[in-house]
Amino acid sequence: MSILFIGTASGAGKTTVTAMYCRHLRRKGVRVAPYKAVNLSLNSYVTQEGKEIGMGQAFQAWASGLKPSGDMNPVLLKPSGNGRIQTVLCGTPAGDVTEKKSMDAPLASAVAYEAYDRLRSKYDVVVCEGSGSPVELNLMDRDIANIGLMRNRRVPAILVGDIERGGVFAALYGTWLLLPDDVRPLVKGFLINRFRGDASLLDGGVRTIEDITGMKHLGTIPYRSLKFPEEDSLSDSDGRLSGDNAEEAFMSNIDALLDAALEAGVDFQAIERLH
Amino acid sequence: MPVASMDNITKKVKEEIDRGWIGPDIECPYHPCHFIGQDCTFCFCPFYPCNDLGLGDNIAGRLGKPIWQCTYCLLIHRPEVGRHVMSEIKRLGIQDPKDPRMRDLFNDVKERFYRKGRALMVLGATSDAGKSVTVAAICRILHKRGYLVAPFKSQNMSLNSKVTPIGSEIAMIQTIQAKAAGLKNPDHHMNPILLKPKGDTRSQVMVEGKPFGDYDVPEYYDNFVPGPGIEAVKRNIEFLKQRYDFVVMEGAGSPAEINIYDRDIANMGAAVVADADCILVVNVEWGGSFAYAVGTVKLIPERDRGRIKGIILNNVLGNPSNMEPGAEELERILGIPVIGIVPHADVDLPSEDSEAFRGMSSRGSGGVRISVVKVPRIANFTDLDPLYMEDATVSFVTRPEELEGSDAIIIPGTKNTIDDLLWMRENGLDKAICSFKGKIPILGICGGYQIMGRLLKDPQGIEGKAPQTIEGLGMFDMVTEWDEYKKKVIQDQGCLLETGEPVTGYEIHMGLSEVNEAPLFRIDRFKDSETEGAFRKDDMLFGTYLHGVFDKPAFRKFFLSFVKKGGKPVKMAEPKDYDDHIEENIEKLALVFEKALDIDMLMSIAEGRS
Repeated sequence: MSILFIGTASGAGKTTVTAMYCRHLRRKGVRVAPYKAVNLSLNSYVTQEGKEIGMGQAFQAWASGLKPSGDMNPVLLKPSGNGRIQTVLCGTPAGDVTEKKSMDAPLASAVAYEAYDRLRSKYDVVVCEGSGSPVELNLMDRDIANIGLMRNRRVPAILVGDIERGGVFAALYGTWLLLPDDVRPLVKGFLINRFRGDASLLDGGVRTIEDITGMKHLGTIPYRSLKFPEEDSLSDSDGRLSGDNAEEAFMSNIDALLDAALEAGVDFQAIERLH
Repeated sequence: MPVASMDNITKKVKEEIDRGWIGPDIECPYHPCHFIGQDCTFCFCPFYPCNDLGLGDNIAGRLGKPIWQCTYCLLIHRPEVGRHVMSEIKRLGIQDPKDPRMRDLFNDVKERFYRKGRALMVLGATSDAGKSVTVAAICRILHKRGYLVAPFKSQNMSLNSKVTPIGSEIAMIQTIQAKAAGLKNPDHHMNPILLKPKGDTRSQVMVEGKPFGDYDVPEYYDNFVPGPGIEAVKRNIEFLKQRYDFVVMEGAGSPAEINIYDRDIANMGAAVVADADCILVVNVEWGGSFAYAVGTVKLIPERDRGRIKGIILNNVLGNPSNMEPGAEELERILGIPVIGIVPHADVDLPSEDSEAFRGMSSRGSGGVRISVVKVPRIANFTDLDPLYMEDATVSFVTRPEELEGSDAIIIPGTKNTIDDLLWMRENGLDKAICSFKGKIPILGICGGYQIMGRLLKDPQGIEGKAPQTIEGLGMFDMVTEWDEYKKKVIQDQGCLLETGEPVTGYEIHMGLSEVNEAPLFRIDRFKDSETEGAFRKDDMLFGTYLHGVFDKPAFRKFFLSFVKKGGKPVKMAEPKDYDDHIEENIEKLALVFEKALDIDMLMSIAEGRS
């Protein structure tokens, strides 16, 4: 079983929501693993086996009660300046991508989906995180982590919108509209993230989005100022995570967020039924 | 203008006629008193009083006699009008301003030159989409093409207000946009509704620059918006359209908040009232910009959707041409042209929003460390903006231990002096600041100045939650009292007494102070002058009610001259006038937009041809 959290934008809160949901399943005793096909980040974590993955997946692994592993983030892209991007496949450096030499997309997607399959065979639920917005019109035909994963593995998805900047209804509706016809029906529901105030004020808007898209509103997650471990202080000059208390600091935060989401009535049971 | 001076006006106009056409009078000390490029031939209008209700109106004067007031009419100052009127006067051989042929000339001029303006609206897909800077850039682009342009934002929520020449309060950002439009005097028509959060769930609502009442969110939408709110928007848009070629309107947040769509007078509600065509700005920095654009357009009800005539993809950090295939696809999907892919503009302009400020712990990385007490109800924190140009690090402190290592301390303005003083007392910041007295310079601005005094009396509970008298920091022999619910709102100009150099600013405060200290400034009023502020040189204590006190270089330089490192004054570069800095940045911003936008398309949208 698996579920994918896609976001309306970078920073919509996918990483946190994915970690929170991993935590929720872990609390229930489900064997759960996180997965993000492609991560574009300078902040990486080195696993005990010496594999390099995005730091977000390390957090999510901890939330799942697991040790981070290379399969959790099979494609890591590390910008190294001057338009060069270092490609890390399943935790191992695999050469640079430049303006002239683009990524071997078929190879990257094959690696990504094989890792996904391995996680699927080992765990009860794989909780996947998308990458950026799934509907960047200039990039979406090359997408691996959002549309690609949905299309190739038929993973049901939940769309996460950030209300803090405003325009959340537009972002949810616009994202849904721009998805290709073959994967749109896989997006079953949506979450509104980082809400402050009285959630009933949103009712009319939420109802409209449900009516015109058929996506179900699965909850509104309250704003919490999350104190994540300072990325810089945990990194050495390579940008690799080397701190000791990161796990502890992160866990207390994610537990608090999960409790707040439960209290705010986020419908976790409905999410579970979508796997 | 008193009625009795009508003879005087006639005399002045006679002098103007004798002098002939002069164009812009750049030697006049007040130039430009209305807008950059104005014609000054008729400092006094030869048609006064024209009694044309599209240009001015009657106000009640002394003894109840109506007086014709046309302060905001710019017609005679348009370069083409000033020149034409004078040449006609000469051609007709008119010498006496009371010549009956002047009325015919007025009618002819109005017919020939007067056109009611059009409104153009800039909407944003989100907050921080770049609406404010886009409005500023468009104002400058149109101004440079010779148009008279006014910015407009129907409703603004901001703690950063500024005071207009007649003592109205408007949001700071509209004053910056007015500057971009080449206007000298931003006025309350440009931001008729200003919401000032009071720190709880209520906001003070200002209408046309004056306090109107306090509202919470449901009251605001249920009682204010459908009545006085929409009326204020209508009245002021109409006012500006009658006087300017273009009104460039700024929306608020997203126009597609469908849960409040019908009560939203800041976005499409205002566009409908103004009959404005709209441009949608999307910030591409966070990704998802195409989705935001499509979703915003499609969620706006069909009856209003057609007003959106162009899209700007803003704040592109990489190569803008990478966005082109996406932009073409977006045009195809929506049938709306993308009129510009605008790269990230590296400019330093004051930020309207307190959101960005809220999370900030310091700014700059210069050698001098200026600690600003970040009181919970901090207001007018744009006072600090000029400090960011200096070789300084401005740190925002909320705990006593953070003051360690400060080279100077500033207690800024606050929306509630008493509550913020109590907050300082609770966390020990009051004592901590006093321990620095005499060692480093300490400045209080407005509420911060009141806090530095000896006593704060609020016998009726106007400022605080209950009637009380509390002790201040005792740095100045000064007693502040909130006697009645009255607010002082005024623009000031004068000089720093120590050096005689010019200082400008504005005051917005409730509570008046009795001060027994050497003053800091001389403020020049209409006929006389008065002193302002408090200054204890030996203890390096400074206090003033003047917001914007750092804008002119004089006081900034003076205050920083008290900063010492290892016992020696710190050498700092010659400070720059903050106004010049703003002007440079507006120009830089406008150039970025001008290069990226399809100006023909922009003009056709602005002119309603699109």
